[in-house]
Amino acid sequence: MAEHILLRDLDIPDIRRFEVYTRHGGYEALRKVVTTMTPDDVINEVKKSNLRGRGGAGFPTGVKWSFIPRQEPIKYVVVNADESEPGTFKDRQILEGNPHQLIEGALIAAYAIQATAIYIYCRGEFWDLTHALDRHIEDARQAGFVGENILDSGWSCEVHTHLGAGAYICGEESALLNSLQGLLGQPRVRPPFPAQKGGGLYYEATVVNNVETLTNVPWIINNGADAYLQIGTPESPGPKIYCLSGHINRPGNYELPLGITFRELIYEHGGGIPDDRKLKAILPSGASGPVLPATDAVLDTPLTYEAVAKIGSTLGSASIILIDETVNMAWAGSKMTQFFAHESCGKCTPCREGTYWSRRRYDTLLAGRAAEKDIDILSDVAGQMTGLTLCALGEFAVNPVVWTIKHFRQDYLEYIQQAAAEEKPAARGKGKAARDAAAR
Amino acid sequence: MTENTVTLHIDGTPYQMPEGMNLVDAARIYAGIEIPIFCYHPKMEPVGMCRMCLVDIGFEARDRATGEPVLNPDGTPQVRWGRKLETGCTTRVTAGMHIRTKTQAVTKARKDILEFLLSSHPLDCPICDKGGECPLQDLTMRHGPGTSRMAFDEKKRLGKHLPLGDLIVLDCERCIQCARCIRFQAEVVGDDVLAFHERARSLQIISISDPPFDTYFGGNTADVCPVGALTTVDFRFGARPWEMENIPSISPHGPVGENIALGVRLDRDSGGVKRVKRVLPRQNEEVNEIWISDKTRFGHHFTLSPDRLQTPLLRKRGELVEASWSDAIKAAAKAVKEAGNRVGIIAGPMMTNEDLYMLRGLAGHVGSRKLGVWPPNLGDPDPVAEVGIAAGSRLTALGKGDAVLVIASDLEEEAPIWFLQAKQAADRGAHLVVANMRTTKLDRYAGHVIAYDFNEGVDVLNGLTAAAISHRWTNRSALERVNGYDELTAALKGTRQPYKEAAEAMAKARNLVVFVGDDGLDPEGHTALLRAAANFLIITGHAGQLNNGLVPVWPGANTQGAFDLGFSSENTRAMLKNPPEVLILAGAPAAADPAYAALLDRVETVISLTMFHNAAAGADAPTTAVVLPIQSFAERDGTFTSAMRRVQRFYTAHGPAGQSLPAWEAVGLIGERLGMPRPPRSSALVMQALTEEVRLYSEMTYPALARVAEQFPPIGASPDFYGGATRSAAGGTGIAWPSRAEGRGKLTVKAVRAPEGVKPGPGELVISPVRRLYDRTPEFYTATLMHGRIPEPFAAVNTADASRLGIANGDSVVVHVAGAAVHVTAVVDSYAPEGVVLLPLYLSSEPMPLVPLAGTVEKITEPVPAD
Amino acid sequence: MNLIRGFVTTFKYLFREPVTYQYPEQERPFRERYKGRHALKRYDNGLEKCIGCALCAAACPADAIWVEAAENTDEVRYSPGERYAKTYEINMLRCIFCGYCEDACPTEAIVLEHEHRLSFTDRRDAIYTKADLLDPPSDGVPDTPQRVPPGSFDRSIPDMQNPL
Repeated sequence: MAEHILLRDLDIPDIRRFEVYTRHGGYEALRKVVTTMTPDDVINEVKKSNLRGRGGAGFPTGVKWSFIPRQEPIKYVVVNADESEPGTFKDRQILEGNPHQLIEGALIAAYAIQATAIYIYCRGEFWDLTHALDRHIEDARQAGFVGENILDSGWSCEVHTHLGAGAYICGEESALLNSLQGLLGQPRVRPPFPAQKGGGLYYEATVVNNVETLTNVPWIINNGADAYLQIGTPESPGPKIYCLSGHINRPGNYELPLGITFRELIYEHGGGIPDDRKLKAILPSGASGPVLPATDAVLDTPLTYEAVAKIGSTLGSASIILIDETVNMAWAGSKMTQFFAHESCGKCTPCREGTYWSRRRYDTLLAGRAAEKDIDILSDVAGQMTGLTLCALGEFAVNPVVWTIKHFRQDYLEYIQQAAAEEKPAARGKGKAARDAAAR
Repeated sequence: MTENTVTLHIDGTPYQMPEGMNLVDAARIYAGIEIPIFCYHPKMEPVGMCRMCLVDIGFEARDRATGEPVLNPDGTPQVRWGRKLETGCTTRVTAGMHIRTKTQAVTKARKDILEFLLSSHPLDCPICDKGGECPLQDLTMRHGPGTSRMAFDEKKRLGKHLPLGDLIVLDCERCIQCARCIRFQAEVVGDDVLAFHERARSLQIISISDPPFDTYFGGNTADVCPVGALTTVDFRFGARPWEMENIPSISPHGPVGENIALGVRLDRDSGGVKRVKRVLPRQNEEVNEIWISDKTRFGHHFTLSPDRLQTPLLRKRGELVEASWSDAIKAAAKAVKEAGNRVGIIAGPMMTNEDLYMLRGLAGHVGSRKLGVWPPNLGDPDPVAEVGIAAGSRLTALGKGDAVLVIASDLEEEAPIWFLQAKQAADRGAHLVVANMRTTKLDRYAGHVIAYDFNEGVDVLNGLTAAAISHRWTNRSALERVNGYDELTAALKGTRQPYKEAAEAMAKARNLVVFVGDDGLDPEGHTALLRAAANFLIITGHAGQLNNGLVPVWPGANTQGAFDLGFSSENTRAMLKNPPEVLILAGAPAAADPAYAALLDRVETVISLTMFHNAAAGADAPTTAVVLPIQSFAERDGTFTSAMRRVQRFYTAHGPAGQSLPAWEAVGLIGERLGMPRPPRSSALVMQALTEEVRLYSEMTYPALARVAEQFPPIGASPDFYGGATRSAAGGTGIAWPSRAEGRGKLTVKAVRAPEGVKPGPGELVISPVRRLYDRTPEFYTATLMHGRIPEPFAAVNTADASRLGIANGDSVVVHVAGAAVHVTAVVDSYAPEGVVLLPLYLSSEPMPLVPLAGTVEKITEPVPAD
Repeated sequence: MNLIRGFVTTFKYLFREPVTYQYPEQERPFRERYKGRHALKRYDNGLEKCIGCALCAAACPADAIWVEAAENTDEVRYSPGERYAKTYEINMLRCIFCGYCEDACPTEAIVLEHEHRLSFTDRRDAIYTKADLLDPPSDGVPDTPQRVPPGSFDRSIPDMQNPL
């Protein structure tokens, strides 16, 4: 791709600054929307572009906006910048490098649903970015893009930022709304959904969108939905930021169209695996998506929501973590389970107890005290959580367990056999243990 | 809940259920099918946390194009089942819904959830206070796995004894994080005292208030807890649940008449006799629902307190000495006989209807009409008989479109259960108007707060009535049966109407309940306020309708009963002017007011029937000749009439303290000596005689009072339904006698004016007594575990007054009023209105007047301590 | 003839060892499963096994057992858990020695031992109190209540082996 749409800071230095952004066509989309389009026009345009939510679920954004009831006097747009999925760091770059495009996108969304206020909920660790964001919002306000009577249209919209307190669960939209309201960051029972009265922020109708999703919006308005549909595939159009991390030569954010294959992304853009080791597993969407074994069939799968779903995983927020042959996947599963056992909010029983129990069982396994039946208990516990939890965190928390056991049962058996043979605690991962030993 | 009935299929069987009802309730009540629950509670919003109530939910499929139902080949409607199981507690009944509760998926889900819950739960059922009545035990037996796969050393170990405040202890291991306690405090009570701390498996309950767990309702959290995580300090390890008898009873504290069950068991420390081990709520949706205040729950210790008077006392050679019952009765009867009709009786707040009936019979025998009520500050209760809240009303029915007025009362302190119900009515959308001369906690839920000056409550109500008249918010058909409307209109002409909006909301409300207290009122003011409230209810057409009417916030558990039997506060006051020769104090702490303490000295003989032989009951008066020990509510049976005119029966829970007798029997023995017929052998027979003589009570025989009205939702009916320790309504739900407005007769409105009131002289302030829930009366102070929560004696002084008098917050002051000197700590804030000092009653043993009077506040300058 | 046979039998037994025990001088050994008087057991450290759960009282078909519980503190500790039996009484006139209490006990605190000499001259003496029932601590082990360092016992019920 010649020019970046989302990561424009890579092409234009200092685009984070208001003057630079406006010099390069910034806020023109907002002006166009406010002065020439009705809210329905905006929603229809976004619907037509088939822009899909970049936060993980891939829900069509225009459809989400159209759920907001017209007649409600108070509506909100909430921007989910609580980027806490392991291996995800795309929103951070947008907030850091191209914040005005996000603000503009959020304002367009607010105009489309006629919201009275926008709340940008940033994860707690983004405190410096959030302070900078406050200044950027102030710049936009000085220019009349934020606040009372925006561009003399009679429409007013305030933009607020809010810092989270460091909880993964607050990336879940209803928990985020609770946290924003000053309540405990625990998900709400749905229905009512956030888009309905009673379900959103302060129990008013609310649209919750991811940072990256909204950053797409100004380009769609400026260039039209048809141009947007030219990028990517028809079902999953548009550019996507892929976060590459793990065992890869050039980790980082890559803005590429949806539809390229894993192989292209890893070996052409990411520069392959260090020391030309063999790729063992791919986590296409951080810790919460099912892990994929790095087979040729997987590597040749195009990165679209549909194609990745077809091979049994999710594209999610495209935070692709690569794991090479030196890692024992049972150990990797234990690490991810520890993460979920730490981050579960504790509201519903299966997630609270299930993640804790799995973690303890992994401790036993890694300490070399487990038998083969413990693997079955692990997958049983995971199976017991599936479908019973209140929110998606619990559903995702079983993925590391279920899929590492499914694809890499041998790794589990290694711990057990090793323990049986040596009758002493097994090492962590083969390669990692060796490296640790060398480091010591 | 709508009245619409729809068809819902459970496990293939169709049932008719009201639309919009909670699925868990509906399945249980209409189909008898159990959907197990832990976190759901019918009195709170569902949260769907515990995931125990997962069921398979489907809807009848409809063709998208035509909207016609899709049918199976056999003609039955095709059902689209949900992709996942859904929580029953967050689902409401809708037409065309199908539920499956017996599928393999549902059965497995229940088993899985229970295994998860048990994976962190300690196996200490043998020592758990909930063991035996524990929903987790019951549901595990019914739905749970037989064995655990969690290794014991993988269990999370947590604190077993974490005090949440002085009264409740949390066992962190037993807690299953259902948040019922948190939600009870936040939603039902409105005291944000509990919260979750941390997250994931470390999630646990903490107290976030200072002092911790600062609420009057904390004990209820132990009841609603579905496991034994919350235990009360009072009962902790006191007995196993199955060892206790649960005796139906009625709270002797306050006017609500909370239905309770006394858990009694033999107790070795008390000499192997039965005693009350714990007090649990008994469900009565028309009274206290399933809640009781901590005063009722923990204030039972006076029943077998060692401080109780054990034997009769008789004055011999100037000293009160122990005597036999026959000598004491002989002496009492002699005194009464000599006095003839110059006998006065003052009946206290815990006298039952049976006691009062016998006292009245005794007075009638000697020809006396001096039947007084304690306390003496109450006005004429006739408006209650006229427009009192309609029989069968329930405050839980109030919601959107209804209104509640609370005037001259701090409901939280005086009748905590009504506070809770008024607050919840406001939460459901009822318009709450709170009018008082001071701020009360209920203000925060009010749609309108009317802050009036001292003694202006009557003017406020007159203004509301005038607004209703001048804007024609009156009810025409109701006015047809009203006498004196034109006179009222004329009298109120020109009255200021500053609270038009509140008047409109109340007048136009579908239902209106008015709570009238006696805060800052002298008897004349109280009379006028009750009448003014009745005027408003009558002209707006609310009188006599179900869920409408006047609720007097009386001070005692049976003040209404005393009024019904012809006792009055006015008679008590008349004795000050015209002292009787013999004064019978029946459970009345009359010497707590200096004027009446002086009265005791002016009569020739005082006969005191009391549980506690103390100064308030006349122990220090030289005229006290006979002291007779009487029994508390737990030692006998009887009836109390609540301020909502509901006559409720309580049963004998345990044996008497010492030689004490029920007051009715003691009075009957005196009467027998005077030539009256032998006293009845049981309180049931006393009540039988009472029903024959008193028309209002003609239906209230014991068998009738023992009838149980059906309760909905049936929380107490079965311990395994909603869990918790709440008891069923067994023992009787009582009968309320109808007010006159519920009949067809004429109603009378009468213009009233605020009386003169207290006019403080220069340098004086109004000293206005207020009631506090926790005080140092022996009936409550014997509960030693509550001592930390009873405030030190204090007087609330307005900031402006305090700066004028040079008093700072926390200063020791002495309040001089009506010859009494009350030593208290000054609390300086804007809680008290300017010019008024609020002096809480019974916080110290020093006598103080029960009506507002002019007085002074003086700072005590402490001597500089010598080095 | 029959008479002679009878004498023969008598004569035969004259030289056999008699089965009669000269109780109380001579005592017959008890069967292992004999159910005699109850004893309340202790752990090796002297703490009482009984936790005052009253399950024995619940199981008792004769309603002979009376238990009242109280809470342990580290200063005044009777049993390792949270709770101990403040009052423990068995009415031996009511007891039928069925051993259900032993079966019901979750901590194996109550055991029907081989003591069988129960006699009393007063009905009141038939009520055996905790002092009568509790085994004395073994030599050198302190009696209850004990004072223990804070936090020594944090379990509500002491850990036990699975009886299965």
